[in-house]
Amino acid sequence: MSDRRVFVLGGGISKMAAERQDGNIRDWIVEAAMEAVKDAGVEMADIEHATTSYFSDHFDKQLKQGAIFHDSIGMCPKPNLRVEGGGGTGGLAIRNAYAYIKAGLCDSMIVYGSENMGRHVPSDVAQQFIALASDTDWEVQVAGFYIAYYALMMLAHMEKYGTKEEQFALASVKNHRNAIYNEYGQSPMKITVDDVMNSPLITSPYKILDNCLLSDGASCLIFATEEWAKTHSTSWYRKPRIEMVGTGSGTDFMRLADRPFPYPGITHFRAKKVASEQAYRMAGIKNPARELDCFEVHDAYSGVELVSCEDLKLCGHGQSGKLYEEGYFDLGGELPVNTSGGLIGMGHPVGATGINQGIEILTQLREEAHPQRQVEIINGQGGMDSHGGTGTFVAVNIFRRVD
Amino acid sequence: MAKNVFQDPEKTLYPKLPKVKDLDPKDRGMVKTKLQVFTADDPVGPKLHWDPIHREDQDPWNDFREIMRIEWNMEITYRHCLGKYSKFFIELENKKFFATECPKCGFVWAIPRPVCPDCLEICKWKELPGTGTLVSFSVSEFVPGFMDVETPYVLAMVKMDGADSLFTHQLRNWGTDRAKIKTGMPVKVVYTAEPVIHPMLLMWYEPA
Repeated sequence: MSDRRVFVLGGGISKMAAERQDGNIRDWIVEAAMEAVKDAGVEMADIEHATTSYFSDHFDKQLKQGAIFHDSIGMCPKPNLRVEGGGGTGGLAIRNAYAYIKAGLCDSMIVYGSENMGRHVPSDVAQQFIALASDTDWEVQVAGFYIAYYALMMLAHMEKYGTKEEQFALASVKNHRNAIYNEYGQSPMKITVDDVMNSPLITSPYKILDNCLLSDGASCLIFATEEWAKTHSTSWYRKPRIEMVGTGSGTDFMRLADRPFPYPGITHFRAKKVASEQAYRMAGIKNPARELDCFEVHDAYSGVELVSCEDLKLCGHGQSGKLYEEGYFDLGGELPVNTSGGLIGMGHPVGATGINQGIEILTQLREEAHPQRQVEIINGQGGMDSHGGTGTFVAVNIFRRVD
Repeated sequence: MAKNVFQDPEKTLYPKLPKVKDLDPKDRGMVKTKLQVFTADDPVGPKLHWDPIHREDQDPWNDFREIMRIEWNMEITYRHCLGKYSKFFIELENKKFFATECPKCGFVWAIPRPVCPDCLEICKWKELPGTGTLVSFSVSEFVPGFMDVETPYVLAMVKMDGADSLFTHQLRNWGTDRAKIKTGMPVKVVYTAEPVIHPMLLMWYEPA
């Protein structure tokens, strides 16, 4: 691989909300992009390339949306492409920026992502759109939908390892609490395990407070080589330097039913294991739980976060429930997970989600987060895990502070 | 269709969406699909501690806060092809459950595949007895938008006798006591007596 090094120069987020009545998806992209160039201290005119990150053509009824995002921020006639992998889209888009810069196709790239998921359609229609990302011939027709597919996995985890619903609920409590200290967050809440357990049942064992959010919002990250940053970024000399040092990706069968036993079966995310092993190897990480200061995990639903921690090797198989009870992954714990609030507390505008995670790691490693949610930077390394479907597309990216 | 927690106005956590047909025609003016014209709030506001763009003295988007919303309805009908696994659905109508078997590795795919993805060999059709074991399930109070199902309904993952991979369908006629649905319990395929809107719905599972 080339010896070019890829740095994250800056990021921008638009306010996440259940409904951004004040504008549409292109407006949020503009908002996030303006924040990102300001944060990176660069001129949009200098950025050489773009990657578009959005998931669904149904939510905004607009195909080839990347062209609109691109011209809205004055990037024409420079190159642009779209990356798509369901909920993993944002993480894959970041990986794409790394690959393009590493390969020398460009020296700088802006990655922008968004999703229009708010109340343009009712929630049950939104869930149906998301369900179209499962197998439409075999799963959707029997009224399958994503919360239920994950629910099937969680029951399997509970029966295999003795994990409890209350332990799943702890992830929701933590993420809503972390969002209190995130000004972009959609759902900051001080809740208890009982609140989660007593919220309306969606599909057993999941209650409504176990779920992530349907969100409107956008986010952007800007990547470049060191040489480009030195001549184009005023932030390069002002802010801590954050390098992208590892990336990995994995996949699995679309349908849970087809996955091999015993691993992953319908319990684990095999794609996450594969992706994280690649990323850790690239970054030279041997013990992720010890060597990372924070991790943004794809918490589409509370239990997903627990199982993800296991497959990302942040803890052993079947151990996550107990560690959640001990606060191991809380702010102030051994390895804070989803300090931003994650998909449950901060929001989940699908195409923006992975980029949000990257921005949170950037913010944490720069020590720019709200004091109540800032983690202690010891190793100067953080990770993010972006995942689509029931783990059908996964991207894991590792960032390191190098000043 | 049964009301779920999102559709029942008494229980919903989301505001009811206005519809054009509920509005007075004179409020719609010259645009028949106009839902509303309103002045949007600044979603960020001055309360943030960080320093947003050009927000020193006023809302930078002040000239762009007038918002119009319209209703847009698209109805699309597809001629959908069920491809090389069509035989599964054709045989369901004959009350037979077919899987595919790989001639090389012998793996039986309960959700049939024309080609074994492990060996890239063309599979053979194999009829299964239509019995199996419940591997996992979820009792759902929620129905995705385009589906016509009474709540609660049960989504089930089943290990079919004679197959190696799992099959996903609904478990019906399980009674009224949710606690009686247990993993490991025997289930059987039951075929419909009434016409259905999708061939997948020609069957479902029931406790055996």
